[in-house]
Amino acid sequence: MPLVTLVQNPGKGATVTAVPTMAPFDEMLLPDGRPRPDHGAIVETLSGLGPSGLVERARQRDAYLDRHGITFTLGERERPLPMDLVPRLITAHEWRHIESGVVQRLHALEAFLSDIYNDGEILREGLVPRSLVTTSTHFHRQAWGLIPPNGVRIHVSGIDLIRDEQGAFRVLEDNLRNPSGVSYVLENRRTLAHVLPEVFAHHRVRPVNEYPERLLAALRSAAPLDVADPTVVVLTPGVHNSAHYEHAFLARHMGVELVEGRDLYCRDNTVWMRTTSGPEPVHVIYRRIDDDFLDPVHLRPDSVLGVPGIINSARAGRVTIANAIGNGVADDKAVYPYVPAMIEYSLGEQPILPNVDTYDLSDPDERAWVLERLERMVVKPSDASGGYGLVMGPSATDEQLAKARRDILENPRDWIAQPVVTFSTCPTIVEDGSMAPRHVDLRPFAVNDGSSVFVLPGGLSRVALPEGSLVVNSSQGGGSKDTWVLGEAHVPDVETPVEATGSSVPWPPPPAPERVNAPDMHDDRIIQQERQQQQGPSC
Amino acid sequence: MLSRIAESYFWLGRYVERAEATVRLLSEHHQLLIEDQSVPDGLGCAALLESLSMPTIDVQTPRALVRAVVGSELDPSTIAGAVSAARANARAIRESLSQDTFEALNSAHLALSRGVAFAASPGVALHGVLERLLVVNGVIDWVMPRDEAYHFLVLGRELERIDMVGRILAIRHDLLWPSSGPAAALRAAGALSAYLRTGHPITGAEVRRFLVLDPAFPRSMRCCAADAEEAVRGLQRQGVSDSSLLLREVGMLRSELEYARLSPADDVSAFIDESREAARRAADEATRSFFRQHGTIVWSH
Repeated sequence: MPLVTLVQNPGKGATVTAVPTMAPFDEMLLPDGRPRPDHGAIVETLSGLGPSGLVERARQRDAYLDRHGITFTLGERERPLPMDLVPRLITAHEWRHIESGVVQRLHALEAFLSDIYNDGEILREGLVPRSLVTTSTHFHRQAWGLIPPNGVRIHVSGIDLIRDEQGAFRVLEDNLRNPSGVSYVLENRRTLAHVLPEVFAHHRVRPVNEYPERLLAALRSAAPLDVADPTVVVLTPGVHNSAHYEHAFLARHMGVELVEGRDLYCRDNTVWMRTTSGPEPVHVIYRRIDDDFLDPVHLRPDSVLGVPGIINSARAGRVTIANAIGNGVADDKAVYPYVPAMIEYSLGEQPILPNVDTYDLSDPDERAWVLERLERMVVKPSDASGGYGLVMGPSATDEQLAKARRDILENPRDWIAQPVVTFSTCPTIVEDGSMAPRHVDLRPFAVNDGSSVFVLPGGLSRVALPEGSLVVNSSQGGGSKDTWVLGEAHVPDVETPVEATGSSVPWPPPPAPERVNAPDMHDDRIIQQERQQQQGPSC
Repeated sequence: MLSRIAESYFWLGRYVERAEATVRLLSEHHQLLIEDQSVPDGLGCAALLESLSMPTIDVQTPRALVRAVVGSELDPSTIAGAVSAARANARAIRESLSQDTFEALNSAHLALSRGVAFAASPGVALHGVLERLLVVNGVIDWVMPRDEAYHFLVLGRELERIDMVGRILAIRHDLLWPSSGPAAALRAAGALSAYLRTGHPITGAEVRRFLVLDPAFPRSMRCCAADAEEAVRGLQRQGVSDSSLLLREVGMLRSELEYARLSPADDVSAFIDESREAARRAADEATRSFFRQHGTIVWSH
């Protein structure tokens, strides 16, 4: 899971006060402390429970998560993903904006990938520097000319959004390879409804549980064209992977096999899985292992997780790999600044969701400008996910800054720099049961089935739980929040569901037959049975 | 064995099953009301209450629904009532019942009498009750000799299970909540994982067909009928008095479901009603054949 960069409102420490920041936007409360419209009922319900009530619910939540094994593996330990009890609300209006922005961005990114793995027109036009694409660690020549059956390369995406000081949503980064976390979106909703049903009482929240169905439909429609009833599998690195819970969750809810590389083999350009009733052909592989490990024939030869020959099968059109190989070039952080231009170029539209300002350090002028202000910048490696190697200027030590400077000068292509953005905050329950603002981001998940892009109404809101924490992901103390997209204002009339569903079966159903119960013991008998002992005089 | 003891085993099986199935159903239904608010609470509550043959007046909120269905010890249609009735039957056969079974049942009873219905998050509390009822079934499965008593218990359990599956399906989750309803019905029957493995789409019609006719899922009506038939054959092997009428009821039900004349497009509603009716007839027949062969003798003064 890539890193979320979260910046605490400055106020203590010499280096931090140097940063000129505005107060963060709060998702739930207005600057004067009153709740925002639509948030009043939640604030009221939660304060009604009080700190001790909330601590008790938090205990029930942990018991629930532990019992259900909703965990991620960190190092050797399995632990529940910390889930905050305060939901994060997104109004119908805000959601329409996010949804259209995400869909627009994905269309542009699909067009970009399709172009660079074929004609390369965008590169000839100089829209994105050719050197930037070809030097990306995630650009795989092995995928050149490999055209997916329904044209989709980004079957599943998770585009990370943040909200700036004015409350405007911005794209922080694109995740087009193996975005994870969607299982937590579904589990968070279930968990919250389980341990804190009261907070749902005053809102119409759009359900999230259709995701597995949508994903399966998208994967099936990505199958090779000559297969009528495709076999879909989820390919996992194995139980030791930190996201194994999610892989199993998705396979289970889609009703498909969860396979490891060793369960599959290729023969005559067909991918087969080994089953007790002999080999069975596989048509769509929703793989959750990285490109490099996918096929030892073409990529890393030492991979023991992949399937030798799988890329040839894909090229022969016998199997579809989802997400496609080589997508990482489009979510490379050094390519990110060019996405708005891609949107204008391929769709002729202005970007609905703006980027965060980003400096391309391979440009000498920008590099010089950034190096002068390194202590106010966030410096990120352009190709890494998981946020390894990120340097947060305001909180970095002098040695760290010096090292970042050396690294940038040595290899400018590998780094990007962004000004520190103060993310929005949302009230979050801290240890003693009181609520305090903590920074959040938002990862909406989108599924592309080739004819339309479905954006799951919700998404993963990740929250920086420790106070003063600057950089957080799930492996560094980050938690998540149930994210509610509120339904449109009108409530449909469901008094007559028969017409609504067009079913021929009448509703309400006929009354149920009466219960049959064991015959009662006769009262006389009970009384006489009770009296058959020599009892004390008080009876 | 004594007819009175046999009857207590029969009803122990029935009431434990009723309690367990109702806990599951309430818990899922409650979760659905919270999670998917496309149906007004009053209507959603009424749907569950009607299927459980309970009065619907004054129940307008999920919380009130939990209170009503958890109910009281006096009404065996409610969870507390079913657990209490199961416990009463267990007490009557305490000398032959394993201590573990009684303990597990007793702790379910105590948890309920401590006021689950008033717990702030009913899902959490109901799970505690469910767990104890699962222990009851687990202990029975593990330690109870496969004698006459066991077959009476299984017979009661399977007939009640047919009835409870019928009640789950009678709610018509699929009509009320077209998107999340069918999955909720599966969860209520504990069948979601089993169903997903079949690879069928989660639609109302497919889910109903699965819960009625699936040959492998142990809570489908068809499997319940097969198990009930097996229990009656077990009784015959133990040499109980004439059970041919009872065997005919459960055997015919089983073969109706096993060899159902049904095209893929057909609705299974008729089978649901018929199965529940057959289960009721079988229970009556068991009473007539084993528990109350000669009617009740009435003393006149």
